[in-house]
Amino acid sequence: MSRKEYKLLFAGSMGAGKTTAIACVSEIPPVSTDVANTDMAGYAKATTTTALDYGEVTLASGDKLRLYGTPGQSRFDFMWKILGGGALGAVILVDNSRPDPLADLEEYLRSFAEIVRGNRAVIGIGRTETHPEPTLDAFHDLLERLQIQAPLLSVDVRRRDDVLLLLDVLFHQIETHMPADISDGPTESLA
Amino acid sequence: MNVISPSAAPDTLGRTESAVCQKMLDALAEAYPEIVGAVVSTADGFEIAARLSPGLSAATLSAMTSSQLALSEAMSAETGVGRCINVVIEADRGKLVMVDIPNRARKRLLTVLCNNSVSLGALLWPVRRCAAQIGERLDTSLG
Repeated sequence: MSRKEYKLLFAGSMGAGKTTAIACVSEIPPVSTDVANTDMAGYAKATTTTALDYGEVTLASGDKLRLYGTPGQSRFDFMWKILGGGALGAVILVDNSRPDPLADLEEYLRSFAEIVRGNRAVIGIGRTETHPEPTLDAFHDLLERLQIQAPLLSVDVRRRDDVLLLLDVLFHQIETHMPADISDGPTESLA
Repeated sequence: MNVISPSAAPDTLGRTESAVCQKMLDALAEAYPEIVGAVVSTADGFEIAARLSPGLSAATLSAMTSSQLALSEAMSAETGVGRCINVVIEADRGKLVMVDIPNRARKRLLTVLCNNSVSLGALLWPVRRCAAQIGERLDTSLG
């Protein structure tokens, strides 16, 4: 049986941990495009991604996941479209310490609507230990209002197991909703 | 050509820096009629100064330059070819050159858009010189 490659996207607000998550699970040295951050009002951190992150994970089956991280800020939405092309699924990360995490999630759900509506997304809520509000219930209510089915997990993307769990849940979600076995899916568009 | 007033980057030195850069961009465009647009941006894609035709967004070009250069730098590092000096796009009806502005304190980027009546070699020289001059001015006027 030939081994397959799947392209997965990591999206979410600036500082949500997309670069960290990919670096945490990648088996190759991750490609990152971090530059000095001048937008301290947007998020007080030293660097920010402006093009993409890239990493790879091999599944037990031998299939390979190609992980693409997007820049968080909406001024880079042209990169969202470029990187979203051919993606099988998406991990959307939310930073619960930001002023309005529910609005953040809604923005990314809308921007990646095609993937989300195809039930090919999983949502990871971060920094819930220090910022328990909004609760997971509030996020569930938002998804229900928007009529979106996507698994929702509280995660710490610095933990490899948490990121692998997100990928596992995402893969399960995709398998459940794809009409055909994903291992028979097209691969050219995933390159 | 209209001069579009720049919106300051979210950075305390915004105003002085924008004025310095705007002056240099105007001088570049006036000296080289083939150059039809130019933008100075922060490394993370905020515009500092711009001279563009109506219809072009300095904010969008700044973000795109940031992505282009960041990706090119990652690719240079990945392949071991050394420091990325500039990124060039040659298209049907024009060229784009993107370079780092060398200066001590902050990473800044220069994007220049020109028509195809000039060769790439003839374009690179004034663009690099303009970047070097902006860098020197930023070093002296902003410390």
